[in-house]
Amino acid sequence: MTNSASETLIEMQNVDKFFGTFQALKNINLEVKRGEKIVVCGPSGSGKSTMIRCINRLEKHDQGHIIIAGKELTDDVKDIDAVRREVGMVFQSFNLFPHMTIVKNLMLAQRLVRKINKVEARETAMHFLERVKIAEQAEKYPVQLSGGQQQRVAIARALCMKPEIILFDEPTSALDPEMINEVLEVMTDLAKEGMTMICVTHEMGFARSVADRVIFMDAGEIVEEAEPEEFFKNPRNERTKKFLSQILTH
Amino acid sequence: MDAVTGWWDDYFWGSMVVLQVFIFSLLLMVLFGLIGAAAKLSDNRVAQKISAAYTVIFRGTPEILVILLLYFGSAIFLTSVAQVFNPEIKFVDVPPMWAGTFAIALIVGSYATETFRGAFLGVKPGSIEAARALGMSNLQTFVFIRIPEMWRLALPAFGNHMLSLIKDTALISIIGLNETFFVAKQAIGTTGEPFTMYIVVGAIYLGFSTIITLTVMGLEKFGLRTTEGAR
Ligand SMILES: Nc1ncnc2c1ncn2[C@@H]1O[C@H](COP(=O)(O)OP(=O)(O)OP(=O)(O)O)[C@@H](O)[C@H]1O
Ligand SMILES: [Mg+2]
Repeated sequence: MTNSASETLIEMQNVDKFFGTFQALKNINLEVKRGEKIVVCGPSGSGKSTMIRCINRLEKHDQGHIIIAGKELTDDVKDIDAVRREVGMVFQSFNLFPHMTIVKNLMLAQRLVRKINKVEARETAMHFLERVKIAEQAEKYPVQLSGGQQQRVAIARALCMKPEIILFDEPTSALDPEMINEVLEVMTDLAKEGMTMICVTHEMGFARSVADRVIFMDAGEIVEEAEPEEFFKNPRNERTKKFLSQILTH
Repeated sequence: MDAVTGWWDDYFWGSMVVLQVFIFSLLLMVLFGLIGAAAKLSDNRVAQKISAAYTVIFRGTPEILVILLLYFGSAIFLTSVAQVFNPEIKFVDVPPMWAGTFAIALIVGSYATETFRGAFLGVKPGSIEAARALGMSNLQTFVFIRIPEMWRLALPAFGNHMLSLIKDTALISIIGLNETFFVAKQAIGTTGEPFTMYIVVGAIYLGFSTIITLTVMGLEKFGLRTTEGAR
């Protein structure tokens, strides 16, 4: 692993994505360097989820190029699997495996994908559960945990795969207000440790304190891209201004 | 009850026949159900239509009729096939055991088709996506995520299918299968005590169905332990 700070981990070049005849992404260009934290915001239906889901190929792009850690995403299954090993994802609805205990949730992909033995996989699992401060719940099942706890487990599950990049798709928007902070704290810690992150969120406090850049999307396009300071103080685009006035008055 | 004394061994062997038919029809039923469900879920129009016809036909006709038609139909069919090779053959007898096993598996399999299809669709897409995002292959996702979630969803209905199967074995006596019902009819012929003889049959079937019910309950408890409150 090379550690040059300027190494590009994610590159999207002129990416288009269609659902039938509906164009969900229009000419997306994005470059993310190692260790960068990007926050993506924008109105519902603007293509935020679609964009980050293209990065680990949960959606297939129709035009342009997506290059992750030097590997281009094509139809080649080997490349897709290789990319997925480097890219972790955290979903809005947690998506833990309901039939497995917490610790088994964390062990499964390590064993199947990384081919790590049981003992080591469990050790890694417990290590990351401790990091998200939830080790005592290891033998419980997902339904027995609160939403905030489940989301922290989901983050730990992604971390167990030792990814280079983690994608977050509105990780706090399904949570009760009192649980949002415990998840944001974990994410902030991760950011401090230098994890490369793309985070779809409307938590503007988090964006201000953590993001290197904020991206605003509307109607499938990246409309504005700026450092948080600049983004919140001097939004240039009319659509950004309108959006910000809406969410900041809440 | 004295009248039953001489018939215990016949009832025992009759029960073994029931058990054997149950086990084989269960395996076939699962197979037919899985094929039917896969066909319904596939993108192939023809496969969808065939599977739809299958469920409509077998759920919409009396079970006893299916058994009779399958038994005599296959006998006629096999006879005509055999006559092509040897015109001397007058009638090929199909073993009632196999015709019956096949028939009830087809019938209950048509119900299982819907159960398996529903269970497949009932698995939350989120779990599947999470597995794919973690780098698990399609096969790994199917085996470790979809199947374990599917069987939990399918179990309650599947328990009913097993009860249907065990009860349907009694219908096969009509084509001469030597099971408990058949034994009872013979016993009545010699002893003239229909009530006693049928009570024994009832007790045997109740025994089988109780075992099935308890097994399903145990499995459900095991399955629900993991999903309590989730559904
Ligand atoms: N599988 C799909 N099939 C058809 N259309 C889709 C599909 N997924 C997304 N879309 C459409 O693409 C557009 C972008 O969706 P996307 O989920 O990326 O928006 P989003 O910005 O994440 O919105 P939200 O804030 O509501 O999550 C929407 O108009 C949506 O209806
Ligand atoms: Mg979204």
